[in-house]
Parts: sequence; structure tokens; C-alpha cells
Amino acid sequence: MATTFLSRRMLIGVLAALGLLAIVVLLSLGIGSDNAIGFAQVLAVLQGAGDDQARMTVLDLRVPRTIIGCFVGVALGSAGALLQSAARNPLAEPGLLGVSAGSATAVVISIALGASLDNLQVWIAIVGALLGCSVALGVARMSGLGDDPIRLVLAGAALSSMLAAVSSVILLTDQRTADEVRFWTIGAIAGRNLSSIRPAIPVLLLGLAVALLLARPLAALALGEKVASGLGQRPKLVRTGVMISVALLVGSATAMAGPIGFVGLVVPIAARAIVGPDIRRALIVAVLLGPSFVLLADVLSRIVARPTETPLGVISALIGAPILVLIVRSQRLPAL
Amino acid sequence: MDRLSMTSTTSASSDLLAPATFNGRPAGLWLLRFGRFSLLLDRRAWLASLLLLLATIVLIGLSLGSGTVKIAPFDALAALFNQGETKTIFIVRDLRLTRVLGGGMAGAALGMAGCLLQTLSRNRLANPDTIGIDNAATAFAVASVVGVSTTLAPSAMALTGAITMLSLTFALSGGAGTRGYRFLITGLGLGAICGAATNLMLARAPIDAANTAFPWTVGSLNNRSGVVVTLLAWGVVVMLPLATIVGKRLNLVRLPDAVAQSLGVRVNRLRFFTIVLAGSLTGLAVAVAGPVGMIGLAAPELGRRLAGPRTVPIIPAALAGACFTMLADLLGRTLFSPTEIPVGIVTALVGGPYLLWFLLRTPRGKQL
Repeated sequence: MATTFLSRRMLIGVLAALGLLAIVVLLSLGIGSDNAIGFAQVLAVLQGAGDDQARMTVLDLRVPRTIIGCFVGVALGSAGALLQSAARNPLAEPGLLGVSAGSATAVVISIALGASLDNLQVWIAIVGALLGCSVALGVARMSGLGDDPIRLVLAGAALSSMLAAVSSVILLTDQRTADEVRFWTIGAIAGRNLSSIRPAIPVLLLGLAVALLLARPLAALALGEKVASGLGQRPKLVRTGVMISVALLVGSATAMAGPIGFVGLVVPIAARAIVGPDIRRALIVAVLLGPSFVLLADVLSRIVARPTETPLGVISALIGAPILVLIVRSQRLPAL
Repeated sequence: MDRLSMTSTTSASSDLLAPATFNGRPAGLWLLRFGRFSLLLDRRAWLASLLLLLATIVLIGLSLGSGTVKIAPFDALAALFNQGETKTIFIVRDLRLTRVLGGGMAGAALGMAGCLLQTLSRNRLANPDTIGIDNAATAFAVASVVGVSTTLAPSAMALTGAITMLSLTFALSGGAGTRGYRFLITGLGLGAICGAATNLMLARAPIDAANTAFPWTVGSLNNRSGVVVTLLAWGVVVMLPLATIVGKRLNLVRLPDAVAQSLGVRVNRLRFFTIVLAGSLTGLAVAVAGPVGMIGLAAPELGRRLAGPRTVPIIPAALAGACFTMLADLLGRTLFSPTEIPVGIVTALVGGPYLLWFLLRTPRGKQL
């Protein structure tokens, strides 16, 4: 088992993902929306030197931002890998299926009822994500959509547009909420401080732990439900676990950064391209690749329209949507 | 359309493949003959259309009659034809007609587009909302409102956006291809980009401009210009017969492609026409009303329920769409008067639970 798991391909994949992550973290620390503070100063600050302005920029702005980006990437990447494997569908993605929309709508409702973004309750986002997730996966199973990726995505799109409409109603009638969440609903990791995301971190780690525990049962499930039952797995239990894990991951990511789409689509596909379709390996590589994707998009968001910043959600949609189109354009949807 | 997949296949093929037992006309159909030409009309579909037409007329009367000055529905309808008091005629024809006509026509266009797309992709969830045309039209209209270097009116920009998106989706999805779904998902992806752009503009714009642009992001019939409504009305008038013809051909595409081809349908060409037609209809509707959701999903469903499985219910879907939109607008205007709820929000709020019910109820493995 151990020997097959740690194949050469896996080893190379993990090393490559780690290397990429290191580079991207450096970029994220070193590149800002203007050229005031460069790599040299960042290195100086990290060694404890540097002037006040540089210290402030790096330690109070860029480091928290990078850390939040890492967490969000881990959560969305692994959630995408789990969903794609459980739904046996390469297009299953928290954003496309309406999980993120469910979470975001729940947050918008809570803010309209008097909460504030600064002391956002993580559980609200998680409940919303759980609702979105259960509807999406429930629909997938109930109508036998598992073998038809397109129908699942259409169902998710319909669900998302409905939830977006609910948000719209609230935003239209409630000026205060509208002002507060106008930026948040696009998705951004800029301007958050570490203390406001702290409550979400344990939830995220819990979700990740559940995800890692589920990797083996999911690998068995990939052989088909009957085979999986024969191997001693309980498909229903595994699916429920996936749902809970995805809800925890997406809910905490949404609480941290707002709804960010397409991370869960692109990252698992890249992971599978590197280490093959086995979810046990793909999940681990996806966990490592997720932060790279989010941070890369975040770095791009700082440099595409200097000196202003573009919200992260816009950049990830601009990267992810063409990839979605490419997947669909390929002659045959890759089966899972 | 629940029991459609099996029953219609068998009934259609038995109608077509068993000419030996053919005596005059099949049951449930009317046969019209004009010399050399003949036409089979589905009785149930026509009765359904008639019923929906009645509902449409009633709703037109109600919509024209309701507002600050109450007018009885019948008087309102009479005023439409220049009968009655001058004041009433003025109110009905000059003040309210544009809005009611805009709503009804937009709904009819969305209903037809939904019906065409659902039949083409053999999927009851296919919907003009999801293929990105809405998002593109919204993005362009918002760009016009918040003033990103353009002087065109929002409606004109919405129409431009819809057409741009349609051609782009079509180019990127590699023509009609052999799979309708590729078009749908490509549109979905491009729509996501446009949605992101809309959000970006709204977030960047000054708060006043953002508030002005907001109705364009939810769908509203307030203050729509007469020119665009006239354009939409002409579009619907021209495209209704085309859609009916295409729908008749599409009936055969519900069979497997090979069967349809052997029955003389040029499947790819038909797909192309259907997509262009559905896209243009959606574009016109969105240019008038903004992204009004759920109409393209619910109207064909009602049309199908009423018209039965034998035909592709283009006309019932169009009438049902007009009814839904006018009803939603009527509710939005009167329910919390004087506050007006945009029509798109009413359809979303009413349609949302319906959609959930629809998704959760659909039993295993049923297809259009």
C-alpha cells in the first residue's frame, strides 16, 4: 500500500506543488499594487530590520493576506477534489453547484438581520454551505445525474441564480447591507486581518481532517457502489461525510474571503493531471495546489490594474471560466 | 413532460412508421387540407393555446387597469381600441401600454427561447438565464449606466451585449456541434466572466451610479423606452412563426439523432437555427426587461403540461411566459404599493421555491 501510494509520480507531484507554493508565497509577499516595497525590503523585514513603512506593509498587510489566501486555497481546492470525486463529475465545483452561493446568501441574510462582517459568525456561512451542498448532491443522486455532468451543473446554475436573486432582494431593500457587502460578495482576501478570520480556522482544519479521512473510502467508491460495499465501505455514510466536509471547508472559506469561484474546478483538475485520478493522491496534491492558485490570482489582482486592485473573485473567474470552456470543448468529458 | 420520453417516442414512431394503418387522420389531431397542402394540428395543444390566450387577455386587461387610477379591466381593453373616455384612452394607450406590452412580449420571448433550448438540449433545466446571455446584457447595461466610456442607452447596450455574447459563445463552442450541451456550458462559463465584470463595475462605481444600475441587475420593467419595446414586439411577431416551424422539426430531434436524420432532419443545421433563434429572443427580452429569471424555465413546463406530450409547445410556452411576466409585474406593482418591487425579483422569489421543488422531486433518470 505504502509503496504504491508513494509512487515516483506522486513524489514528483508533491515536490513540484511545494516548490510552486514557495515561489508564489514569495511573490505574494514581494509584489504590491505599487513598487514601493520590493523583495529586498521584504527580506529585510522578515529578518527583523527595515523601516516602519515597510514593516507595516509587510507584516500587517501582506503576511495576513498571504496566510488567508493559503487557508482559502486549501479549503476550496480540497472541497473541489472531494465534490468531483463524490459526484463522479469533473465539473462539480463548489461555486458552480451553488455551495458558495448558499453560503454567501446565508451571510447576506445574517448581515441584513443585524450582524456585521467584522464579527461574522462562521457557523452561518457553514449552514448556508451545507444547505447548498445537500441540495446539489441530493439532486445529483435523486435524479441519477451522476453520469451526466451537464445536468448537475445546470441544476447548480439554477440554484445559484435563485440564491443570487434572494441576495439581490435583500441588497435592494437594505442600503446598509448593500454598502457593507458590495465588495465582499465578489470575493477578496485583501483588507482582512488575522483576528477576524481566527474563528474560521479550526472549522477549516476540522473539514480538512474529515476530507483526508474520506479519501480512502472515496477511492473505493470510485470503483462503483457495489464494489465499494463489498470492500466494506458504506456509500451513504461516505456521501454524508463528503457533504459535511465540503460544507465545513466552503463555509469557512466563504466566511474568510467571500464567495470565490472556480478554484475548486481548476485545482483538482490540475492535481489529477499531475498524479492521476486516484483521489487519495489527487486530494493531497490539490491541498498543496489550492493555495498556489489563490495566491497567484491574488498577485494578479494587484498587478492587472495598477495602482488599484481588482477583486480576487473577478480574477479567479477570468482564469477559471476559460478553463471550464476548454474542458467542455474537449471532445469527450473526462469521466471520473 | 414526465411520461414523455417513452410514450412520445413510441407514439411518434408509430404514427410515422405505420402508414399501412393510416386512415384519414390519427386520433387527437385535426387535419387541415388546402388543395395539395395539408397540416396536422394537435387538438390538445391548440386547446391549451386557446386557454392560455384567454388568460393572457384577462391579464392584459388587469395590468392595463391597475395603477394609481383604477380602470375596470374591460374598459381598459376597450380603451386599447380607442373606445371609451378620452382620459381612459390616454392613460391606457400612452402611459401603461408600453410597460404591459414590454412585459408580455419579453415573457413570450423568454418562454419561446426556453422551450427551444429545453427541447434542443433534451434537458428541462436548460434555460435562457443560464447560458450567459443575461449576464452579458446586464454587464453591458451596467457599463452604460456607470459610464464606462459609452453614451449608448442601457437598453441598446443590453441588446449589443446579448448579441456579442451569443456570437462569442457560438464561436467558442465550435459551432452547433453534435452536442447541444457544449453550447450551454460555454455560455455558463462566459456568463461567469460577465458576472464578474458586472460586480467589478458596481463595486468601483460611485454609490449613486451603482444604485442607478442596480435595476439592470435584477430585471425591471420600469421606465423602458418605447423604441426598444417596439423592436421587441416586432422581433416576437417575426420569430413566433419561425419558432413554430423550428419547433415542429425539433419534435423529431427528441428521437435519437440517427433516427431523426433518417427521417430527413438535418440535425446540425436545425441546431444552429434553434440556438440563433433562442439567443435572439433572449437578447431582445433582456434588452427590454433585464435579466428576468425563471420565466424560461417555468413557462415551457406549464406549456408542456397543458399541451401534452405530442408537440413542442412553442405557442403555449410563449403565452404562458407572457402571462407569468405580466402577473409578476402586476404583483410587484400592486402588492406593496407605492413601493414597487422589480419584476425580476418577484419571479425569482416565486420561481425559487418552485425550482427547488422541481429539482428535488424529479425522479431518477427521467429526461426530456
